[in-house]
Amino acid sequence: MSRRLLAVLLGGVLLGTGLTGCGIPDNSGVQVDGRGPAAESGSLNGGVVEPPTHTASRDPKEFILNYLQAAAGEREQAYERVKEFIAPGSRSLLREKHGSEITLTVVRLWENPEVTPNSDGSSVVKIKVQQVGVLRTDGSLAPPVASETEYQFTLRPAPSSTDADDPELLITDLPNVLLLNDESLQKYYGIHTIYFWNSDQTRLVPDQRYLPSAVPGERRVTEVVRWLAGGPSDWLAQGVIRLPDGTQLINNATGANGHWEVNLNMPGANDARLGRLATQLAWSLPELDGQLDLKIQNQKRLTVDLKQERLTHPVYLVSGNPERFSVYDGAIHPLSLPGEVSGPVPVGPAANKRIISAALSRSGDKVLAALVVSGSDGRQRLLAGSGPGPVTVFNGGGPWYKTLGRPVWLRSLDPQHPHGLVVAGGDLYRFDGQAVMKPVSLGVPGKVTAVAASLEGHRIALIIDGALYVAAVNLDGGVVTVGQPRRLVTRMSDLSAVDWGTENQLIFAGSEERPGIYERRPAIYETSVDGALDTALKRDIGARVTHLAAYSGSSTDLVFMYEANKVAYRNTPYEPIKREQVLDVTPPAGGKASNPTAPFFLY
Amino acid sequence: MVTSPHLFSSTAASRRLHAARALWRVLAARSARLAAGLHQTWRRSLQVRVVTITLVASSLLVGGFAYLIADKITGILLENAETDVLLRLHNGSDYAAKQFNLYSQPQEAQLQDTIDGTVNYLAGGDPAQTSGVVVAITADNFPRTIEPRTSPDVEIRPLISKELRASVAGGNIAHQIRTGELGGERTKYLVYGSPVPTRFGQVELYYLVPLARQDATAADARATVVATGVALVLLLGLLAALVTRLVVTPVRVAARTAQRLSAGLLDQRMVVNGEDDLALLAASFNQMATNLQRQILRLEEMSRLQRRFTSDVSHELRTPLTTVRMAADLIFAERDEFEPAVARSAELLQAELDRFEELLTDLLEISRFDAGFAVLDSEPTDLVPVVHRVAERLTSLAERAGVTIELDVPATPVIAEVDPRRVERVLRNLVGNAVEHGEGKPVLITLGMDQSAVAITVRDHGVGLKPGEEKLVFNRFWRADPSRARQTGGTGLGLSISLEDARLHGGWLEAWGAPGQGAQFRLTLPARAGDRLTTSPLRLVPADAALPFGGPRAGGLLAIGPGSAGALAIGPAAGGDDRAEVTS
Repeated sequence: MSRRLLAVLLGGVLLGTGLTGCGIPDNSGVQVDGRGPAAESGSLNGGVVEPPTHTASRDPKEFILNYLQAAAGEREQAYERVKEFIAPGSRSLLREKHGSEITLTVVRLWENPEVTPNSDGSSVVKIKVQQVGVLRTDGSLAPPVASETEYQFTLRPAPSSTDADDPELLITDLPNVLLLNDESLQKYYGIHTIYFWNSDQTRLVPDQRYLPSAVPGERRVTEVVRWLAGGPSDWLAQGVIRLPDGTQLINNATGANGHWEVNLNMPGANDARLGRLATQLAWSLPELDGQLDLKIQNQKRLTVDLKQERLTHPVYLVSGNPERFSVYDGAIHPLSLPGEVSGPVPVGPAANKRIISAALSRSGDKVLAALVVSGSDGRQRLLAGSGPGPVTVFNGGGPWYKTLGRPVWLRSLDPQHPHGLVVAGGDLYRFDGQAVMKPVSLGVPGKVTAVAASLEGHRIALIIDGALYVAAVNLDGGVVTVGQPRRLVTRMSDLSAVDWGTENQLIFAGSEERPGIYERRPAIYETSVDGALDTALKRDIGARVTHLAAYSGSSTDLVFMYEANKVAYRNTPYEPIKREQVLDVTPPAGGKASNPTAPFFLY
Repeated sequence: MVTSPHLFSSTAASRRLHAARALWRVLAARSARLAAGLHQTWRRSLQVRVVTITLVASSLLVGGFAYLIADKITGILLENAETDVLLRLHNGSDYAAKQFNLYSQPQEAQLQDTIDGTVNYLAGGDPAQTSGVVVAITADNFPRTIEPRTSPDVEIRPLISKELRASVAGGNIAHQIRTGELGGERTKYLVYGSPVPTRFGQVELYYLVPLARQDATAADARATVVATGVALVLLLGLLAALVTRLVVTPVRVAARTAQRLSAGLLDQRMVVNGEDDLALLAASFNQMATNLQRQILRLEEMSRLQRRFTSDVSHELRTPLTTVRMAADLIFAERDEFEPAVARSAELLQAELDRFEELLTDLLEISRFDAGFAVLDSEPTDLVPVVHRVAERLTSLAERAGVTIELDVPATPVIAEVDPRRVERVLRNLVGNAVEHGEGKPVLITLGMDQSAVAITVRDHGVGLKPGEEKLVFNRFWRADPSRARQTGGTGLGLSISLEDARLHGGWLEAWGAPGQGAQFRLTLPARAGDRLTTSPLRLVPADAALPFGGPRAGGLLAIGPGSAGALAIGPAAGGDDRAEVTS
């Protein structure tokens, strides 16, 4: 029996050892499955302009100017770059922030920094600035929150400096903000326009953003999608709609060589929404051609040919070349400039009289016309009409005003319900095809003196109390409402006229204050829609510009005309519009020759 | 004093050594006993052998198959897991490469975010839903600039071995199985690593997939296989035991029955069940037993009849013989008055009647022995007077034959518990034979004894015995030379009766003889009745017997012992093969 038991035990042990031997081992050796994908080294963008470092200059003034550029670039390393300029003991003066809290205070220098050397070798640098705005992490330039007009820095020679005569410098005392001057914004950042749909999802509304040039091209897709998911700039918010709440980019958008992939979390994603998002993306990424895969939660939902998408869904409906007109002897006349075509006056001869100013706009195959006509008592009122050919029927039973500003049409997609804006008696009014004017409430008190509408008709520029504002327009439900206007900072004051030069640029006229020159002189400036770019286009005009009209359909050149001292001018080159250039004019018989006034474009 | 601890320790050590030795001895003894027992069981039981061999062979076979199956299952499970992970790794590596392709410097700030996002994306977000898969991205080439990331956030460094890291850092896709804890219980992990190419160099992507499910499945499969295997082996063992039992039991029964048969229980039979081979064996066995029994009974009956016949004939002959004897005596007494020829016939008649009477007496004696009626009537007897009496009685016969009878008898009495009548008859027979065959040469009677036995030898120097005749002489009616006429009144039954007498005493009666050297007979009897004989006080082969070729006869034993003056004496063994075994 014991023998048998032993044999059974032996068998069991054999089985047991054999079987435990063939389980999954606790640890095994490294087994190579083959070569992995090889790494390719190389840099995407070698020629990126970097801001100067703290060793670039040993002159206190230039040192501070360099300091004002140091924050430009990728925002996560902004503090790192800036702190290079600061003495180690003083670095705590600049409180470090993280993530979306990292904002750059963009300032514009009024004049050169003022340096005051101290007896102990240190020096104090004062800069006088104008607050331009706050550059947020989403690339938008928000209105300024600080009100300082002067910042003061204390510099001392760096103790580690090797050259005792010409020591390197370090900042020991400084304001607790990340400063960036407006020039750096243009130098180290690229301007990118992203588009949001208006509230009835018929039009794309541009929104301007800044992206550091240091960001490689591949990452721009990611940034743009993040911006789109993050929503529009504050001032635009009332005029556009956001992507659905919770829309979020999953990791980075990837791709190269004409094939891109965007993976999103998007609640309630349906084909219509994705189609609109595709159009948004196609226009927001104008430099990209090729395929873009839209994935929702890793599921490929839509593939867009970006170029084709832009062709099938144009952002602006601008047809034909702009035609120039002006008012001459109370009537609208076409202007003929060399190299440009001119068309017939789209206003019937019966209505084409006693005109002060006018606004014409093409809407589909029709022409919208708004006329400010003067009555016999010199009071003015608004007439409006529309039609395919020359507009002959004008409505206008409205009240008479002492003065009416130049009317503007909001370029809407709906030709049956046109809307326009006009300034009357310091207030902003909206009018429709029947020329019924209704006041528009603005969130800003003050006297409105000028209004201009952008190309897509969802943004307007206003001059309120001599200051420049932009605001979003909402046409929801056929009612024109204007969002909270945003004031743009400019060097000029006492503004008189404004119009949109391009989709994101404003041309405006006012009085320029220049260092060294006591007297304020009228000038024409251009600025970006966020006020960052503020450059003079024409100085020393000599008289106040009363009227300014631009063709905003051009993407490159600024084309505008203005009137000053009852004389109409044009740009490129700047010269007065001569009477000979006014067509269809019968020379007055011996009478005093008048000048064309209130020039405008029809497009 | 100083060395005392050493002494103590050495004694302690030696004590321990002793204890260990004792334990070892006990163990060795026990295991030896166990081994001996096992060996005995192994040799004795066919069933144990068959079952053991079946168990061992089937264990090996089933174990081999079970190993193969379990190994295959484990292999398939692992292979599946590896294929899955490799696919995920490839996809993950591609995805990560695309994600990291946006960065040309490891210092770029959003790279770390992208690594986080990629790891989380590849891990599938919620750790509870990812079945324990851990995804990690490390950058061994950029240890300061890029922090390794893991999702779910656990410490994976111990699980990724240096070798694997080196291999992956060298641009290989490699894997390894490791066991460790990742924020939970200890689990086996399949660790897969792949390089992820980027513009600034290479980072590494690792997948750590728990093999708990595969392990459990493999263990399940293994347990099933083991259970099945053990059950199979046990079943086979049981089957072997049953089958062997089917065969062995009848064989055992047959063996037992045969033992009983051989012990004399002739009516023992095997049970015949069915019609199989074993039934045939039992039937044949029974047949054989029946035949044997019948034959034995028949022979017994025949033997009994024969003995009865002999006895009856002897008795029946005695009555007419008495009458014939009386008439013959009358005639013999009156022989002088007859003619010489008739007188001679009367003498012859008288002599032959004497022989006839003797023969009848012997026949009756023999038949008493055969019938088992012979009873030993033993009493302590001094054998010396018995020897003298026999010698005296045969003196006249010896003188007639010209033979002298010499005695070599101890001076002290030789007392033994014997039946003196039978001893005397044996001696008379032996001495008579010696005188008869002595050819005129002296006959020597020697009496010897030791503690347990007495012996008497009778030596003559006649023609002797041929080889092989030492046993034949005890046969009934045997003659060395059948043509030789009997001179004396020997019946041919004397030695047979003597042998029966010796046997009745529990003693031996043996003969030795060689041609030309005469013969010697030895009677050995136990000193106390009922004792068992082991040796004899006297030698069977006489000391003066010549040895052919200076050694023992062919087939005989050579006795080697101490000789005189330190020499080695070599001679025929005392006793040996030619001793007639009459021990029963």
